[in-house]
Amino acid sequence: MERLLITGITGGQGRLVAKRVAGDYEIHGVDVGPWEGQPREVKLHQADLRSKRVEDVFRRERPAAVVHLGMVRHRFDPQLRHDVNVVGTKRLLEYCAAYGVKKLVILSSSYVYGALPENPFYMDEDTALNVSRHYPEIRDLAEVDTLATAFLWRYPDIATSILRPVSTLGYYTHSSIGAYLKLRYVPTILGFNPMMQFIHEEDMAEAIARTLETGVRGVFNVVGPGAVPLKVAIRETGGTAVPLLEMAARAAIRRLFRYGFYPLPADAINFAKYPCTIDGRRFREATAFQPLFTLEETLRSVRR
Amino acid sequence: MAKTVGETRPPVSSARAKTRARRRHADLQVAPPRPAPHVPTAAESEDGSEERSLLNWASDAVAQLLSGGFDGLAPGFLRDLEEEIARRIRRSPMEVNGYGYDPWGFHTEVARRALISSALMYRYWFRVETHGIENLPEGRILLISNHAGQIALDAAMIGVACILEAEPPRIVRGMGEYWLPTVPFINVIMVRTGSVVGTPKNATDLLHHGEAVIAFPEGVRGMNKSFSERYKLKEFGNGFMRLALQTNTPIVPIAVVGSEEQAPSLGNFKPLARLLAMPAFPLVLVPLPLPVKYRIYFGEPMEFKGNPNDEDAVIEAKVAQVKERIRGMLEEGLRRRRSVFF
Repeated sequence: MERLLITGITGGQGRLVAKRVAGDYEIHGVDVGPWEGQPREVKLHQADLRSKRVEDVFRRERPAAVVHLGMVRHRFDPQLRHDVNVVGTKRLLEYCAAYGVKKLVILSSSYVYGALPENPFYMDEDTALNVSRHYPEIRDLAEVDTLATAFLWRYPDIATSILRPVSTLGYYTHSSIGAYLKLRYVPTILGFNPMMQFIHEEDMAEAIARTLETGVRGVFNVVGPGAVPLKVAIRETGGTAVPLLEMAARAAIRRLFRYGFYPLPADAINFAKYPCTIDGRRFREATAFQPLFTLEETLRSVRR
Repeated sequence: MAKTVGETRPPVSSARAKTRARRRHADLQVAPPRPAPHVPTAAESEDGSEERSLLNWASDAVAQLLSGGFDGLAPGFLRDLEEEIARRIRRSPMEVNGYGYDPWGFHTEVARRALISSALMYRYWFRVETHGIENLPEGRILLISNHAGQIALDAAMIGVACILEAEPPRIVRGMGEYWLPTVPFINVIMVRTGSVVGTPKNATDLLHHGEAVIAFPEGVRGMNKSFSERYKLKEFGNGFMRLALQTNTPIVPIAVVGSEEQAPSLGNFKPLARLLAMPAFPLVLVPLPLPVKYRIYFGEPMEFKGNPNDEDAVIEAKVAQVKERIRGMLEEGLRRRRSVFF
């Protein structure tokens, strides 16, 4: 049985992926924290991705495949985010090249394209990564993606896949969009109601497993069952949309975020104004992936 | 790494996860998804049982006013017109999800409301006469028309014609300017009624999906020309021809007669336009579009073959054929016209 290393395995998505591929691989995990109720078949190495201990894991275990999920996504300490995501990914890529990894799946995000007024409805993988133009807090996403893409072209023998999924929702994963939709009163911008795409966490685990199985190589957008306007999503997840004037919203959110009363920085407002919807055709054609959960089920999975 | 989340959570077992997935799937089949929502900009529900804030109500009201909703208060003929539009939109070929939205954000209910004001204009203000609409082929088409009248009412009239007169009714996809999505409310109405930002990707996606896309190759040059230049076609852009060749789409030429007289302009006041960052500032003499009579001529579809990446000269020759056809249709329409207003 091939050896698979999953970084960030104790996170929601990591657990789901581990469970999904449990029979097919000998699973090793890397994460900072412990996994309560860790299944016997998973071997967990408690280490920080930036530390030298991870290299030792590669040296000893020689994994054939790596799934890289060990990134901070829902915290907004910019220093921490940048350090863990960019430095951690950079180290991991070096180890993958040095210790003969054959397959590598890296979880990026569709947010790398940014939400801009001139965005076409269905952006393909060749669209520029514009997120840092209006949302510097998450520019580490674009940096990780760029690092991974450079790696993809530099090592043609390694089947590297970079997945850019749409907003992931579900019980186990913590995402910014999930935190936003779970608010009792959800601030929106008066006069704007962009279309948004969602994917269920278990569909996302399936997409990652499919990528490993087929061994495809390249950059892929991963889309779920479809798109709805933001306010429909808010209604379906059981919240109440509170439309605010943009200037007021920016001023209020900046302060609330600074003192920890609100989960997203003010720059995230662009995602509540303009679409960041992507075209998943390339991934569908390469792996025959089809989401199992409908839009209704996906949205209701975070209903309070 | 700060992965503190989920540590206290129970582990998921693969079998359980899959059963759960299936069970949820089954649940949903027992309880059918709720019917399509009715106003898009609103977090409103049909039963009204959900909590609503005052602001929500206010934004609904504004959106309704802007989209021309007439619930309850409307006289009979308005409700009949609304009903007719709704019936015809339902018959047009399209694909919507469980919430009533098509992949580009078009929504039947909102479009129905928004189209009423245009339909009223179509029937009672401009009294539009449509000729040759039976020429619209099925599947993807690129509608190419002359452009005039200072505001894009010709686009709206062609859109209404394709819904009220075409068989089967077609939703016309407009290609909006890049700044339109930044305008509050307008951006929502634009998307809900089937238009999109005019990027090449949107246009090719829509055509591959079999939609009817409209383009005005004269652009603002045509729309803002002065009264003395009426019915003289301005230079055509080449983009639409490359798009048609690339997606193998038939082109339907359209001539609109009447739009030139709706808002006579003495000329373009360029310094002010530059100051206001507008494409043009026409010196218009009337506060409202005049009640001219519109005549819309749909020509027979034109098929073009060739390499979409040919050099400009080759593409321009093909564009000239379309331009000639529209010019011919315009001249024919003007010859037959007895009066600007009747």
